[in-house]
Amino acid sequence: MLHLGPGVSSWLRRSAWTMILLAGAGAVGMLAGRPARPSSRFSASAAAPAEQVTFNRDIAPIIFQSCTACHRPGEAAPFSLLNYADVKKHARQIVDATESRAMPPWLPEPQKLKFADELRLADAEINLILRWVEQGEIEGDPADLPPQPRLVAGWRLGKPDLVLTANKPLTLPPSGSDTYWNFIFPVPIQETRWVKAIEIRPGDKRYVHHANILVDREASSRQREAEPGAGFGGMEIRIESQVFDPDSHLLFWKPGTVPYVEPDGMALRLDKGTDLILNTHLQPSGKPEVIQPSIGLYFTPHPATRLPMLLQLENDAQLDIPPGQKDFLVSDDFTLPIDVELLAIYPHAHYLGKDIQAFATLPDGTQKTLIHIAQWNLNWQAVYRYAEPVRLPRGTKLSLRYRYDNSEENPLNPNHPPARVRGGNRSSDEMCHLWLQVLPVNFDPAEGDPRRALQEALARHNVEKNPGDFEAHYNLAAMLQARDKLDAAIGEYQLAVRLRPDDAAGNNALGAAFVAAEHSAQAVGYLQTALKTRPDYFDARYNLGLALAGQNDFAGAAEQFRLALQLQPQDANVEANLGAALAQLGQLPEAKSHFERALEIDPHQPIAKENLGALQKEMNSH
Amino acid sequence: MIPTLVACSGLAWGQQTGVDLDDRIVNPLTADPGKIVVLVFLRRDCPVSSRYAPVIQQISKQFSERATFWLVYPDKSDSPQAIRKYLQDYGYHLPALRDPDHQLVKLGRAQITPEVAVFDRAHQLIYDGRIDDWYVDLGRARPAPTTHELSDAVRAVLAGKTVATSEVRGVGCYISDLE
Repeated sequence: MLHLGPGVSSWLRRSAWTMILLAGAGAVGMLAGRPARPSSRFSASAAAPAEQVTFNRDIAPIIFQSCTACHRPGEAAPFSLLNYADVKKHARQIVDATESRAMPPWLPEPQKLKFADELRLADAEINLILRWVEQGEIEGDPADLPPQPRLVAGWRLGKPDLVLTANKPLTLPPSGSDTYWNFIFPVPIQETRWVKAIEIRPGDKRYVHHANILVDREASSRQREAEPGAGFGGMEIRIESQVFDPDSHLLFWKPGTVPYVEPDGMALRLDKGTDLILNTHLQPSGKPEVIQPSIGLYFTPHPATRLPMLLQLENDAQLDIPPGQKDFLVSDDFTLPIDVELLAIYPHAHYLGKDIQAFATLPDGTQKTLIHIAQWNLNWQAVYRYAEPVRLPRGTKLSLRYRYDNSEENPLNPNHPPARVRGGNRSSDEMCHLWLQVLPVNFDPAEGDPRRALQEALARHNVEKNPGDFEAHYNLAAMLQARDKLDAAIGEYQLAVRLRPDDAAGNNALGAAFVAAEHSAQAVGYLQTALKTRPDYFDARYNLGLALAGQNDFAGAAEQFRLALQLQPQDANVEANLGAALAQLGQLPEAKSHFERALEIDPHQPIAKENLGALQKEMNSH
Repeated sequence: MIPTLVACSGLAWGQQTGVDLDDRIVNPLTADPGKIVVLVFLRRDCPVSSRYAPVIQQISKQFSERATFWLVYPDKSDSPQAIRKYLQDYGYHLPALRDPDHQLVKLGRAQITPEVAVFDRAHQLIYDGRIDDWYVDLGRARPAPTTHELSDAVRAVLAGKTVATSEVRGVGCYISDLE
């Protein structure tokens, strides 16, 4: 008996960019156990000798804890702060920078839920620096000087297991606006590996403001390069994916970042053929700079057993900010369908973003501030990891409230005079995104991956927010199909196709869903539409072959499979299905050669394997 | 902000000299008679100073026929070799002076790097302060400046007009930290 293989080949296109984090925020821990000193800006002249602030006793500990990780040779800061002479040479600048909280760079306001590696100076410490300068920058007793922090040069975690270096360096011009550049790193591994840490060395750290790694499992970004290895520009990038495989880490680098080592069971999977995309924000320095980043990978033998997910709140659709508008509010609210632990948070807006807040309202009504940034600054955006996982039960409402300033008073306004600004990917557009890394807890493993329920609820939420959005419907459909809710999936694909009647991916997906539901007759028209829009669309060609075969039009099916082979000659499934269609037409020798070809490409191709045996018997019996 | 002491009066003419990269004493106000003079104060370790290099180079080129621009380095630990390398790295084609005793700093009333001092042909200080309003504060720069104090001042002096503002403080690194 001959039969055809399953036909759904392209069903999920992720609309989100999948961001990955392994990195923690700051390089240093909290200052612990140091008594807060009573201090006042105007007490200097009255200070008794005992209250004299000295570098060695009072200032060096602050500097070593909070500044030196970056302010040393080879790191991101423009000058070193390693000793008395270094600090004295920048003393007033340090007073200004700490009083305005420009330094150390730490955007969140203090809150009850603590972040790991918080890099925020206490008011008392800031006052101490001020008093030291006012008192004449006294060096003090050498015996009081704490040892310099032991900081590693080069790779922070030691020699990586695998180092990838960008194919081509980028030359950053001496002036002009900030540059957003993406480097593609193919990962030369032959089998699946598990990554416990990634260290990003973005080239000369002084010119790289921050960098993200995105995992591209299907090499979909390469098509954006002008030539292989060249990289490509763009501030916001999207990775397309055909399978439900929620990348669950936020891989982020900013100056001072120490690579974060994932706990056992939380490793990042890398397969053969995976590309890592390094998305960088570069700032001109006044002279041409050559940037050639490297990535160091640290492997673990332990596969992931705990699978977190990135959950996105957003509302770019609400972003339509009139010129001059000083306080434009955008919101989003999403209710969790499952119990989770919140591990990390990553807010993102562009240059109009001002006040950024997220909070959780628990089922019992208590409210927790997840993050509050009163003075947003894109240049210092970061991923913030909670010191302890935050338990959020099912039914918790997650809320985002971002406020934007599109007035002349916002110095970072990209338009002068202010102009209408809408949501978009360019740096002059605006964004309203919040990523939450969550780990499902208290679930029944027998019911499958709990992240699917979360993903479906998110997709449904997006459709409610944006009922006229093609991708919202498309992604919900794909999610429903992944959860075997085929009829509901078809309904959503139909809504998507109604919004974009000529869209190749939408028509192909709808056609494929009909094939999967064994309604081949209804599939044909949509697949033909997909091919009219994109005649070289392999998936649609293959699916059309299956749809025709499903209606017993084996000649038509064979024709489509042959056309599909012209597009992808090395596809075992097409070879096998072509063999099956030819066998149905009685063309047994040709069928046999296609089965054999399929098994050459993939010795385990099940249709070819099963059919070839049956075919031999049938040919022998004649 | 910390009040910074700047000597504003009582300077005797003749003491305002710098040292060029061949260790010769130079009075920038009298070195190139007939032109107006702009002193540009820079610290090599100040990223804001460095980011201005293309802007300074471009403005100086625009007025090169009638204005002499001098780069002034007030850090006494800066060696001529280090400054030469900096000029080459940043593509400067302007004469540079070291100002280890801050004579030129006092003359030009400079407090921050980068700041400029614009003198008319009679050696009167007409404008001192920032180049433009690109930087709002440390770590925050506009996409592009909306005011152009240096160009405006040079243009006004060349046209014999009074300048609209005679002093606007810059954003960057304190020169007084070098004392």
